[in-house]
Amino acid sequence: MEKDEIHRRSTSSPSSSLQPRWFASAKMVAIALVPLAVLAAMIAFIFGPGQQFLGTGTPLPEISIERIEFQEGGRIIAYIRNTGPIDVTVAQADVNDRILPAAIEPSKELPRLVEAKVIIPFPWNEGDPYEIGVTSSDGTRFSKGVNAAAPAATPDIEQAAFFGLIGTYVGIIPVLAGLLWLPFIKRLSLQKYRFFLSLTAGLLVFLGIDALVEGSEIAAESVAGVFNGQILIVLVAILSFLVLMYASTKLGERSKGRTAAATTTAEQEEEEKVDKLSAYDDDSIHASQAKKTLDQQQQQQQQQQQHRHLVVVKPVAMALMISIGIGLHNFGEGLAIGASVVLGEIALSTFLIVGFMIHNTTEGLAIVSPLAKTKVRRMIGKIIIMGLIAGIPTIIGTWIGGFVYSPVAAIIFLSIGAGAIFQVVFLIYQGMAKEETERGGKIMSDASIIAGFAAGMLIMYVTGLMI
Amino acid sequence: MITLKVIVVVAVAAAVLSTAFAVASQSFVDFLATAQDAELRKNTIGGHTAGYGLHETSGDVLDPASSSSNTASDEVAIDPDTYLRSFNYGRVSNLTNGSTVREFTLVADDRQTMEISPGVFYNVWTFNGTIPGPTLRATEGDLIRINFINNGTKPHSIHTHGIHKAGMDGVFETINPHGRFVYEFYAEAFGVFPYHCHVTPLEEHISRGLYGVYIVDPKTPRPEADEMVMIMNGFDTDFDTENNFYSVNTIPYYYMHHPIEIEEGKLVRVYLVNMLEFDQINNFHLHGNLYQLYRSGTSMAPDEYTDMVTMSQGERAILEFNYKYPGQYMFHAHKTEFAEKGWMGLFVVKDPTQTGGSDGSDSSSTRLLETKTISGDVGT
Repeated sequence: MEKDEIHRRSTSSPSSSLQPRWFASAKMVAIALVPLAVLAAMIAFIFGPGQQFLGTGTPLPEISIERIEFQEGGRIIAYIRNTGPIDVTVAQADVNDRILPAAIEPSKELPRLVEAKVIIPFPWNEGDPYEIGVTSSDGTRFSKGVNAAAPAATPDIEQAAFFGLIGTYVGIIPVLAGLLWLPFIKRLSLQKYRFFLSLTAGLLVFLGIDALVEGSEIAAESVAGVFNGQILIVLVAILSFLVLMYASTKLGERSKGRTAAATTTAEQEEEEKVDKLSAYDDDSIHASQAKKTLDQQQQQQQQQQQHRHLVVVKPVAMALMISIGIGLHNFGEGLAIGASVVLGEIALSTFLIVGFMIHNTTEGLAIVSPLAKTKVRRMIGKIIIMGLIAGIPTIIGTWIGGFVYSPVAAIIFLSIGAGAIFQVVFLIYQGMAKEETERGGKIMSDASIIAGFAAGMLIMYVTGLMI
Repeated sequence: MITLKVIVVVAVAAAVLSTAFAVASQSFVDFLATAQDAELRKNTIGGHTAGYGLHETSGDVLDPASSSSNTASDEVAIDPDTYLRSFNYGRVSNLTNGSTVREFTLVADDRQTMEISPGVFYNVWTFNGTIPGPTLRATEGDLIRINFINNGTKPHSIHTHGIHKAGMDGVFETINPHGRFVYEFYAEAFGVFPYHCHVTPLEEHISRGLYGVYIVDPKTPRPEADEMVMIMNGFDTDFDTENNFYSVNTIPYYYMHHPIEIEEGKLVRVYLVNMLEFDQINNFHLHGNLYQLYRSGTSMAPDEYTDMVTMSQGERAILEFNYKYPGQYMFHAHKTEFAEKGWMGLFVVKDPTQTGGSDGSDSSSTRLLETKTISGDVGT
């Protein structure tokens, strides 16, 4: 208190030293507000008397048609939004450039960024292409095409069940099937294991790029320029990467501290036991070459403790992160499937479903790869849950995509997924690099790592051709 | 430890997910809100033709085919009802040799923004503030004098089809803003002609609306008839060299909701001119009847007895017909694209023996209402 007082006296003017403390902080706030006040005055000037000097050019109206729905009983619904710099009034609506009577709700007056629903009674034919247009009061026509009209999905049980079925086929079953690679992964030698871990990274990088490209396409097609869709994708992806990076680093630090403490006490958490890096699994006695040299459980446990700090994130956590990243990606995939069904952009052929299944099976492999050297016995449940975390979002995605599609939400999900995926890839290589440095090598000179990465991307590309 | 980690990761993911979900579900909430509002207020839209479902809405109706703005207002490019049967014979005086002088005044302007279709405002270029400009009418041999004033911001002129001296052609003598010019020529050759601005870019000067109809009657007048002028035109409001709107007498669909009343058995004479820009052809199809077609109106003998005439820009004709039966009859471009962008209208044929004409118009409009009600069952 005393020290503070002296400090204040030395920095502030003599008069202010007599004033109470709150005055100083108020002054502080006032100083901070000065630039804002100048800015406010400037804005007031520009909107007021300054308008005549600065009002150059003609602001053009812009209306985005975000979504088109074809309803049974002969009705087309277009969801439009004013994405331009000025308020607009909608004057007319058309189908295939033929003016038609229509209703617009809530109003034909659209302030900036406001949405409206245009209802056009029209006897449309399933499978035919249509172009829906609206004309603003200055005579500019804005339109959006639909490749093949398909009846809108109504959020009823039947439709939800149908989407649920598709989601199960393309999301849950393949991922769970992919998890069955775990015993195979466990029996691999270290070198081969590293190949597969790197292959996982390759798979993930493909998925991440896929999510970004997909998001970019949606942004270009359906998101109005005013939302800066492409920038949003990059920002959200970076943010998602950083947040997850921060979370995993913090967790890593904390778990290191806790492990040190835990070694002195006999009682350890169940999860921890399960989680040990190179714990022996009774079921897979010949799991890894490294483990074979060890005879005793005790000795082995000591080694575990020594090596623990080399691992950035523990295998289960890593697997969980992968499954969350894949889950977000699959959510985006589900959105795309649901929206495509509704928009009539793809016919969900059997071939396409099979393509998604093959493609997504590799995601199961990605989840189990980090678990190769982990005791599995009491983890079966967890692994299944991770499979579901990765798979179930597909179903939720199809529901949202089918019933309440929002292109902005779609690109946000896709970019969160991309960020999460890249973060996991980063962790995988960080872990491998540490191990490698420990042994005096470099990961970039390890052929199996490079080959695995290449193989991973190639597998995804080839299976992606079926979609 | 892993539990904690899982919780944090899941929490972060959940926070992010829920944010994104909130964005996604916003539209769903809006959707529910509008669905409820719809119950409160009702506006009904139906088709101008049966087959479209009827729909009740809480919002606004966009239907140029069954409603229009107040065409008497200065905001609207023309009042098609007034224009239809308006003929401007000019200020008449006589020369010493006895021939008639008809003096007209045409003022060009290019600064106004007017309504050319319900709710659509467009920078129009006009003669005397309307599209089309006034219909000029004279008799063969009259001396025509047009006082032209350019009140706009660009050079303009008047090019009249017909026989006249080179200096009166409106091509080489463009009149600059605030300029004046007097066009003088004899009304040689009877017929129906367009007049329009001939300054380049011609396409723009015409499509923006600088045109009108000029009729020269033969010295022996045509038989007495219910006469009307129809100029087939259109507007390219988004500048893609394709018309967004088509019509006769400017306002799309106008004569659909304001049918033209004619008498059963009475001769109707339509002076029809095609001034449509951008499209190669245009045409006029009449329902429930055939007409005598006098191409360019330059002969007293009809060229054809038909219900279809196809014209290119600048072509025109006189159509003569009378209706045998009362009721509502359509007329429209038999280029359905044009029809469905506004070029359609209705004649209401009234039986003059019925007082108040109740039989013709009323029964038929009741019939139209019935049709709309029937179509209502399709939708809603």
